[in-house]
Amino acid sequence: MSRSRIVTVVLIAAGIVWTSTVVAAFSAIRRFESTPGLSADAHATWPASSRVPRATGASTLVMLIHPQCSCSRASIKELEAIIDQSPRSMRTYVLVYRPADAKAGWENTDVYRAATGLRRAQVIVDVDGSEAKRFGGFTSGQTYLYDGDGRLRFTGGITSLRGHEGLNRGRVDVIRIANAQETSATHPVFGCAITSKTTTRGARP
Amino acid sequence: MSSIVIENPDVAARAEELRNEQLTNRRVRIDRMFAGLMLLQYAAGIIGALVVSPYAWQGKEKVIHMHVWVAVLGGAGITLLPLLMAIFKPGTTITRHVIAASQMLWSALLIHLTGGRIETHFHVFGSLAFLAFYLDWGVILTATIVVAADHFLRGVFWPESVYGIANAEWWRFLEHAAWVAFEDVFLVWSILLGQREAGQAAERQAAIEHLSEQEQLKTAALEMALAEMQGATA
Repeated sequence: MSRSRIVTVVLIAAGIVWTSTVVAAFSAIRRFESTPGLSADAHATWPASSRVPRATGASTLVMLIHPQCSCSRASIKELEAIIDQSPRSMRTYVLVYRPADAKAGWENTDVYRAATGLRRAQVIVDVDGSEAKRFGGFTSGQTYLYDGDGRLRFTGGITSLRGHEGLNRGRVDVIRIANAQETSATHPVFGCAITSKTTTRGARP
Repeated sequence: MSSIVIENPDVAARAEELRNEQLTNRRVRIDRMFAGLMLLQYAAGIIGALVVSPYAWQGKEKVIHMHVWVAVLGGAGITLLPLLMAIFKPGTTITRHVIAASQMLWSALLIHLTGGRIETHFHVFGSLAFLAFYLDWGVILTATIVVAADHFLRGVFWPESVYGIANAEWWRFLEHAAWVAFEDVFLVWSILLGQREAGQAAERQAAIEHLSEQEQLKTAALEMALAEMQGATA
């Protein structure tokens, strides 16, 4: 076979690889980024067994975070936007997961540091996800908004896709509810798993 | 810059030959530059994925993040064809169009690997400027079509990935494409200017070559006449 024919065959093969890779890679990204995590088994009211103090007479926002989950950087960014555009009376908690047997400082990642840098938000280390279980949450980025009477008004995520910052329905809905422009909403949540459904069920209040 | 009027068809043909030769040499060099850039982007994509999102987690268990696999395998697939084209078919029209399309696909991949960071979108605009080095406006057109098609298709089938909200208007891809078109106008203008200047330089060189040939012929004729005179005197 002549050299030019070999080159032609190689280039045609590379063209086929190129086309199929482009389709496969972008399909894989799409599937990964648009597949939501497990939705919360959220309670209609603030869980009585929770040790997190709820604000009375004002909204309370709770976000569950897996500190090693790189996708949750986007959730923290979106939370920052929500805090900026919500009433100052709203109380915000970020519950940061840490396995019971993890070494000290396991949770000290850039996601954790970003959470501690939020204004008007309190970060609580949630050992073994016990608070996540009380709130019925499974996925990093899971956000709850309760009204002043402890009734659940929003449950879901505040990013449009896994790890994507930017304007999205979840963020808009939380801001609207916090400002009494809307009564309730839900949104898919995108992020790493904090706990599985089987380990959570037995722990519900 | 004033243009040179060439009436001699031989000189005009030589100018055209010189122009094509210069453009081809330039485009071979640009192909090689892009081959290097493709490899650099491949390495940067993998390093970026490993640094930004090495693992996905389930409680305390971790697995290799999807972005790492996409950077390694998807990046290799996107890089392979333009790299081979630059090696085996440098300077050809199809090579630079494949490179243009691949460069835009790299922009899309890097945007995903960085979680849709707005700053990564600058890669699109930087790449268009690099592609203008080819002095071929068709290459800019190919790149623009790839960007517009990517935004249009994602806007229709996956709007959250482009606009953040699911119910974005279908025509919003035009707003994004308009910013690319804004840059394109100036790039195409500079390409046409560059082509004209390359043509004028080739015409000047052809004219100089022609004059030089004429001078050499005159000198040869004079030397011949002188030799004949000297022979007659002797």
